[in-house]
Amino acid sequence: MKELFPAKQVMGLVFSLVLTLVALLVHFTDMSFAVGMTILLVTAFIQAFLQLVVFMHAGESKDGKAIYTNVFYGFIIALVTIFGSLLILIWDM
Amino acid sequence: MEFFERFAVPHPSPMIYASMVAIGLVVIGIVFGITYFKKWGYLWREWFTTVDHKKIGIMYLISALLMLFRGGADAILMRLQLSSPDMEILDAQHYNEIFTTHGVVMIIFMAMPFIFAFMNLVVPLQIGARDVAFPRLNALSFWLFFAGAMLFNISFVVGGSPDAGWTSYFPLAGNDFSTSVGTNYYMIAIQISGIGSLMTGINMITTILKMRAPGMTLMKMPMFTWSAFIANVIIVFAFPVLTIALLMGTTDRLFATNFFTTTNGGMDMLWANFFWVWGHPEVYILILPAFGLYSEIISTFSSRNLYGYKSMVGSMVLISLLSFLVWTHHFFTMGQGALTNSIFSVTTMAIAVPTGVKIFNWLFTMYKGKIRFTVPMLYSIGFIPLFTVGGVTGVMLAMSAADYQFHNTMFLVAHFHNTIIPGVVFAMLAGLTYYWPKFFGFMLNEKIGKWSFWLLSVGFVLAFFPMYITGLDGQARRMYTYSEATGFGPLNLMSFFGAALMAIAFVTIVYNILYSIKNSPRNIGNDPWDARSLEWATHTPVPEYNFARLPQVASSEAYWDAKKNGHKLFTGELKDIHMPNNSGVPFIMGIIFFVAGFSFIFALWVPAVIALIGIFACMALRSFELDHGRHIHVKEIKEIESQYEGGAK
Amino acid sequence: MKLDHTQPLEYSTDQNQLNILGFWIFLGAEIMLFATLFTSYFIFEGRTGSGPTPAEIFEITPVLIETFVLLTSSFTIGLGVHAMRLGRKNAMLTFFGITLLLGLVFLGVEIYEFMHYYHVGATYQTSGFTAGLLTLLGTHGAHVTLGLFWGLFIILQVKKRGLTPENANKSFIFSLYWHFLDVVWIFIFSFVYLKGMM
Repeated sequence: MKELFPAKQVMGLVFSLVLTLVALLVHFTDMSFAVGMTILLVTAFIQAFLQLVVFMHAGESKDGKAIYTNVFYGFIIALVTIFGSLLILIWDM
Repeated sequence: MEFFERFAVPHPSPMIYASMVAIGLVVIGIVFGITYFKKWGYLWREWFTTVDHKKIGIMYLISALLMLFRGGADAILMRLQLSSPDMEILDAQHYNEIFTTHGVVMIIFMAMPFIFAFMNLVVPLQIGARDVAFPRLNALSFWLFFAGAMLFNISFVVGGSPDAGWTSYFPLAGNDFSTSVGTNYYMIAIQISGIGSLMTGINMITTILKMRAPGMTLMKMPMFTWSAFIANVIIVFAFPVLTIALLMGTTDRLFATNFFTTTNGGMDMLWANFFWVWGHPEVYILILPAFGLYSEIISTFSSRNLYGYKSMVGSMVLISLLSFLVWTHHFFTMGQGALTNSIFSVTTMAIAVPTGVKIFNWLFTMYKGKIRFTVPMLYSIGFIPLFTVGGVTGVMLAMSAADYQFHNTMFLVAHFHNTIIPGVVFAMLAGLTYYWPKFFGFMLNEKIGKWSFWLLSVGFVLAFFPMYITGLDGQARRMYTYSEATGFGPLNLMSFFGAALMAIAFVTIVYNILYSIKNSPRNIGNDPWDARSLEWATHTPVPEYNFARLPQVASSEAYWDAKKNGHKLFTGELKDIHMPNNSGVPFIMGIIFFVAGFSFIFALWVPAVIALIGIFACMALRSFELDHGRHIHVKEIKEIESQYEGGAK
Repeated sequence: MKLDHTQPLEYSTDQNQLNILGFWIFLGAEIMLFATLFTSYFIFEGRTGSGPTPAEIFEITPVLIETFVLLTSSFTIGLGVHAMRLGRKNAMLTFFGITLLLGLVFLGVEIYEFMHYYHVGATYQTSGFTAGLLTLLGTHGAHVTLGLFWGLFIILQVKKRGLTPENANKSFIFSLYWHFLDVVWIFIFSFVYLKGMM
């Protein structure tokens, strides 16, 4: 039975849960918008990264480099699109 | 009867009725012809169900040429309408429909399949592979493109064409101002073919990353393969944006949501934003493979290796990133602040740098080379100065302050035709002439080809350079007529003559194909151009399995090294070759997508739901299917190979 | 079919490796797809027209259930792949089954949530904000729904044909898909719900 629950993945789950609980502080305690957003950004990105590395085994095969490049390229362009659009249509409109 | 009224064209004219008759007759003619010559079985076995990248490439090629003529007919009508002041050949509504379909057809249904044609035909051969990574997905991509193209093309005889411009800006494209189903056609036809493009992107990237011949590292790939790789990376990250934008536009029109409306919190400008987040990278999706073709052709006909291989690759990687950072320059006048416009001005101008690097690399490749002035080379040489003019006017447009003067004038129209025609269309015609012998086994006639080139180039200059002047003088784009007092008349007449010359040029190209089918010699060997990369190392026409033995590669010009420097390309024993099976599912899915699309366009919910279920059923079927492909055995390979060696070489 | 026994079953043939890399590239496209949806949501967040605002309609309880359910399902499918690599077919099927059940719970709660929005007057047509919200959630939910069917098909195939290289490959790719949906949900949870209720 024990071999079915590898420590790495169990730790991954525990860490995810902790990060989720930390993010929930934003809702259940009173804090400023800036602090709240910072917490959310940090916890969300760490959790995404955790999934990628621990659960999705992104780097395990010899295509790992291509896979990471692909994902980070996607993330960068996604962020450019999101923040660029916000700049155009809200912040600087 | 009421049910059928929705399919009527809301704004008919004799021309449209004539087209209906013509389309009807052509369809009947084709069906009758195929039946009469008993070709249905052949078509089904060899083409509709094929998963062979070469045949798919040829189907893309034929579709692209057909669409070129559809879009070209639109163009001629527009130029005719503008050829002198107060013309009345087209009314405002028809003019709107025609410039809209001209743009969409030329970009989505002509240029895209053209580049996909070359990617399919050339990339697997250049990297020494037997097919693409996902052959059946490749067939599905084609049939989705084809379904989208057919859907879009029936719009002008069934229900009415889109008329809000190829950019289809909201709120103009919303239900309030575009009341016919035309814009539904736009949203859904592009959606369907866009899904196909996205799948091609995934397919090609995987192919190029994983299926290169032994020894071919990334930095030893031929330049066209590099350009195809980068273009497909851009496809994968740009097309999803279009998918979502079209989805939102569709729900706005069909389900009364408030994405791009002007009430209830809707944001019409978001459409323009998303459209160009996709639209600008799209420009580079088209131009990069064109650059790749030019690189191959210029190096072959200068009899020299490509100058600055690494800087060519580097500049393309840079372009792929920068292409996602410039989209605002399409709407500098929309109302965002000076900060935004300044940022995007700078990024836009920056993109001229890697492009400039490439131009100089081509010039240096030709420098001290032994240049052979063949037809593909003529197009490539013509491209450099003409495209540079387009690039320089692009930098003018990139200055946001000055853009307030240029925006939406004929200056802009002149600029983007000036980049797309010498950039993409010339490249496609050059590539067509260059690769024709590889896939059809004979050359196109050089003399007629040179006529086509000169007619097209002169026609192009005559058609588009006057627009720079009328644009600066204030002629707005998309304006269906103008008065004599504006003084735009003579220059527009000149444009019309140019457009006519271009039309004649395209007719000569068709004539050339027919002439060459009849008259060209068939014993041209494998390498009629004395070329440099792997696609010329296999037989002509290419056997099903491409290479009997997989080539061993040691440089980016493996075939040249094999010819001149004693490099051994093909070593080792023949082995059984594993090939994918044909499948009719992609074709059937294309038809179902067509039905689904048509039903959504006309809000016919019952068939729409049935068709969607059909699509999911096909996917489920695929999930359960066991298909291990088939093997071509050594004995068979030997037979095929000996036919090539024994036959005319 | 050439088998490479030094690798896990799902990587053991050339075609399997192609499939996995191809799917990762597809996920790259999915990143952009959801980025576009997030962009539109952020743009529309404050554009509520005459309809309700985010803070008025969001409820923390269903969101918490959805989050923990999906997080756990991402863990169980990871265990499923691990069991598959040990060759424990039944354990793998159990974990995949649990994953799908959790997915079903997620979907049920999401449907409840949508009904709640409908009742408080936040329909698809109400405002830019509701359209943006429901399209983002709906696209994610549609992915989960598709995943339920896909996962079910894979369980059936593994049951019928065993742990072949093909089935292992499909199962692994499905696990990538499922993890990815969890990643998307993390961002929805943080930047739609928590930000909206802040």
